[in-house]
This record gives sequence, structure tokens and C-alpha cells, in this order.
Amino acid sequence: MPMTPYPITGFAMCNSIGANRDEVRQSLFEGRSGLGPSPIDLPFEAMVGAVRGELSPLPSSLTMWSTRATRIAAHLLGEIAPEMERLRERWRPDRIAVLLGTSTGGADTTENAYKHYLSEGSLPEDYDLFRQHTFGAILHVVRELAGAKGPAWMASTACTSSAKPLATAGRLISSGMIDAAIVGGIDTLCAMTLHGFRSLDASSKTACRPFAADRDGLNIGEGGAFLLIERSGDPIALLEGVGESSDAYHISAPHPEGLGARLAMERALEDAGCAAASVDHINAHGTGTRLNDVSECAAIEAIFGREVPVVSTKGYTGHMLGAAGATEAAMAILSIVEGWIPASLRADPVDEKIFVNVSQERVDGEVRRVVSNSFAFGGNNISVVIGAPR
Amino acid sequence: MTWEVAVVGCGAFVPGFAGLSGWVRGEPSPDHLTARAEIVPKRQRRRASSLSKAVADAYADALGESKFDAASVASVFGSAIGEATTMVGLLDQMWGDAAMLSPMRFATSVHNAASGMLSIATDNRGITTAMGADYDTPAMALLEGIGLVLARGESVIVCCGDEAPPEDLVADGVGWSLMTAAIALCPSSDAPASCPRLSELMIAPGEHLSSQPGISENQLEEMGRNPSIGLLDLVVAIREGTRGVRALDRGAGRGYSVRLHGVAE
Repeated sequence: MPMTPYPITGFAMCNSIGANRDEVRQSLFEGRSGLGPSPIDLPFEAMVGAVRGELSPLPSSLTMWSTRATRIAAHLLGEIAPEMERLRERWRPDRIAVLLGTSTGGADTTENAYKHYLSEGSLPEDYDLFRQHTFGAILHVVRELAGAKGPAWMASTACTSSAKPLATAGRLISSGMIDAAIVGGIDTLCAMTLHGFRSLDASSKTACRPFAADRDGLNIGEGGAFLLIERSGDPIALLEGVGESSDAYHISAPHPEGLGARLAMERALEDAGCAAASVDHINAHGTGTRLNDVSECAAIEAIFGREVPVVSTKGYTGHMLGAAGATEAAMAILSIVEGWIPASLRADPVDEKIFVNVSQERVDGEVRRVVSNSFAFGGNNISVVIGAPR
Repeated sequence: MTWEVAVVGCGAFVPGFAGLSGWVRGEPSPDHLTARAEIVPKRQRRRASSLSKAVADAYADALGESKFDAASVASVFGSAIGEATTMVGLLDQMWGDAAMLSPMRFATSVHNAASGMLSIATDNRGITTAMGADYDTPAMALLEGIGLVLARGESVIVCCGDEAPPEDLVADGVGWSLMTAAIALCPSSDAPASCPRLSELMIAPGEHLSSQPGISENQLEEMGRNPSIGLLDLVVAIREGTRGVRALDRGAGRGYSVRLHGVAE
């Protein structure tokens, strides 16, 4: 049975192409990438999508929980403060959940603390595993600043982490457990992830080129996105359906024919109760790795054919890992609200093994429904259907 | 709003005990000091962390008791610190000789390492999630599982576990020892009347395990600091036939409890 569509009543974004949704919108509109050299000192070349400028400090009562991730979270909440106020007026605090996702959590802080430990023999005085590293730290800061007293947890399924909470929010509202949720995710740049993707031979030294014939890997990005989902309300867009699946194939490589990706998209359409032909745009996972792009596009082609515009926004922001799913869902909302589909950057010439319509120019026109894909280590897949208000 | 889900299986891995039954009986078993992870093919098992293997044992026991279809059952894996030991190993590699990290170790450093490993091992293409919420991890993992049952009618295995935190990252006396626990849930209408039910997940005082034969008070206290202990407390209560409001943490979380009862109680 299709899920009940739930209103998305607010959203915020912060990443390498903008500190808020308006700046992100402008960069996407103009086709402006945020990729640049890594601000983290590395023994190799790496292009990344770093959040620019200084993040404001946390309020003094939360200083002990201060990390780059919690400061990004506070920044995102600041952007949706008016919408949050409205949400708190509509729902009891204990009925508002905080459902987020991350892959790195406070790992950047732990990296630095451990480096200090190796050189000095002790951890920094202000380091605390439970206040800076674990997921509870981000959850605590968001709950405190948002005034949300309902259930709170962090999904961590690598690159699908921040899309998972959209599925959870739908289920918990539908089963009557909550009335509203702050969903989304945050990830920050870490030396370990940059080293790690290099060890997998999956990262590019230059700006990534999703779907291009000579693509040679991904760039890591950072930032976050929050969306407000409510049982009822004045929608900017609708969460219409979510499909989840597992590849059951390999811990770090996608199924070669995109079997898990296909299952996720089919289940999302079924959940939304809509036909493939009703989808106007696909925001692909589109990492720019050799394996992902071909298998994902094979799955897209099998369901949607060769006409629907397919875009990867990772050419703008880099792969935001645990924050990618929510960020790309928010970009799907932008497409619906603004009436255009951003260009997929640097895809020319498209890989001859890819037969879908990789949209290399911005497409202006009404966008009623978008599918946003996220796939992850462990063969974890999720597709989200976002629709225009009816 | 009222709801009810059925419990159709449980499992646990506590080092030195033969599964949940061995733990409940309080009979130490030197043959079970490490997890066996027999549900996972040998090649994968060799690459798995001690946490992932312990998760696999608890998961396999709950799966076996429930008789759920291994290839389609949904799963939720909760852990507060996840693969922190693997992460520290990577940091040592990264700053030790600045050489390449182990790609396999990196790929299995993610919080969903056990989730991915088990979906591959059981050829499962269904829904699987990994999550954490510090000391609320058992309550929140349970809620994620309950949501899947109520909203989608799924059969779900919820598994929580934490390995001992890396010694270098925590102060003396605040660590804990490894344990994992798992519970199999399904719609109440799909389960026999003899199976216990869960309802009312709430922030309220509840009972938890306070003594345990076969283990010293110090060991019990150390294990009690494990952020995932709440799920072990719950499955022990289920196995012992206890009913009532059961605590899902031991005071370090937000105080979530769940009501455990029989049909029509």
C-alpha cells in the first residue's frame, strides 16, 4: 500500500557551494562548483568540497559539545529558525523527533585528539569521547537548540546515512509515534576518509566528473542539510515515498548490474504509488567512480528509460558521504520549487556504456516529482521520491 | 496511541557464556570466549571485527528462534561507538608510516559494517539500518524496529552491541566489556499467543538486571556501563518470563523503558 505523503515544511543546507539554501540555489543555477584543494594537510593531492568561512561558536551552555559537526548543525537550525518556531507551536515537544544521519560524526575531532595523544602521550584536556565523538553529541546539541524532546537517533549507514531518516520519519509519523521530525545529516572532512578513499583507488585528484567517459573517482565534500517533516502542514514539497534495499553482493563495490539500486528505486515508486513515467528528474548518487555510475545508470535505464534528465550534484559539492542523501533530497526540493534542473557538471563526453539522459545543461521547466538516490558501503541503498504540493 | 508488537526470538553474545541461554543460566563456558559468527562464510569472517562477529552470533540466535526468512527479514543494528577500535587502527596506520591505509579495514570501519556483512552472508536484499544514540541506543533501535513492524508489517531483527572502547580514548574506570543482544519482532497478529508482547515505549522508571550468577559484581558493573546493555536486560527478562516495565538503559540515558507483557494483559 502506498505511504501517505507527508509535508516537508522547511529545509536548510550548508556545503561548499553555499552557506544557506539561497547561496546553494544560486550556485546550482549558475553551474558553479565548490570543489577546491583540501584544507587538511595530506601527503597526496586531493580535491574536496569544504564549507567556506567560519562557523559560529555554539552557545556557552553547549561549548563542551563543540565540534565542526555540531557547529554545522547549529548553523542549519539557525537557517530554519522561523519554520522551527512554527513547528513547535503546532506539536508537543515530546512529539518532535530528531532523526539524523552521519558517517563521520565527530571523527575529525577524534583524529586530532588522537594525534595529540600520539605526540604528547595524553588526550587534549577538553576531549571527551561522548561529548565530541559519538552521535549523541550532535543529537544533544540539536535537541537542545531545537527544543525537540521526542525520540532522537543517528543513522549511520555510510553514504545513505542522511537519507535513511526520511524513511524513518515517514514510518514513525504513520504509526503514530511522532507528529514531526527534524531529519537530515552532517558530515565533516576528515583525513581518515580522504586517506581511505585513496586506498580504495576511488578518489580523483581533479574535480570529479560523474558519468564522463574518463571519470576517475570522487571528491569528498562536507556540510549538511536539515528538512522538517510533519504529519500535516503547509508543504514546500511532499515526501511521497522511500525505497530501501541491500545489494547482498560486496562490502564496498556496487552490484555490477545495479540490482540493489533498481530494487530501491522500484520500491520507492511503489511506496509513492506513482509510475516511473511521472518522474521528471533523477538526482543520481553519481559519485564519479568507474563502477557506481555505470551500474546506477543501468538500473535507472531499466526503470525509467532514456529520457528522464539524470543529474549528479556531486560535481558541485563533492560526495558529502553521510550528509549526501539529505543534501540531495533538499536539492530535489529546490528543483521543484524553482522549476529547473541543475546541469550535471563535467560529464562531457558521457561514458558510452551510459545510456540515460545525463543532463549537461540546466533544464528550465516545471518539475513535479524527483527521485533522489543514495547508495553506500555494505550494499546499502535508498531512493526517495519528493513531489510538488498537490 | 496504543500499539503492540510480538517478540518471537532472542539472542545474545557475552564473552565466556554459551549464548543467551548460557548467560541466563549463569554457566561460564571457556569454549565461548570469542564469537564464532558461523552464519558468516569463512572468508568474510576472517575480515570481520570482534564486534561484527559478536553481532553475528546474537543475530543468528534471534533469527534461528524466530524462524524468519533470512533472505528478507529487515534488520536494525544499534551501537554507540560502532567500529571505534577499527578506526583507531586506521589512525595508527595513517600517522604511523603515512603509507596507504588498508582498503579492507577502511571499508569495514563504517558503522554499518555488521549490517552489510550479514546482508551479504544471508543474501538478504531487504531493509537494513545501522544507528546509534549513545546510552539510548537500545531504546532507539527498538523504536526503529517497532516502526518497521507497525508501519510496514515487516518482520525485524533488532540487534545492539558495543565493544570495549579503545583504551586510549577514554579515562580509566569508564570503559566496559563487549556484549551484544538481539530481539526478533513481528506484527502481533502474526505471532502465537504464547509469545510475549511489547508496548508503550516511554520515558519512565523500569526494572533491569541487578545480579547475575556466574559473574563477579565488578564484571557485572563493568558490563552495565556498556551503552547497549538495555537490550541484553530486556532479552534476559523475556527469556526468564519476567513481565512489567523494563528499563532500556541503566541510568546513563534519557530513561526509556518498554512494557513487556503477555497477550491481553
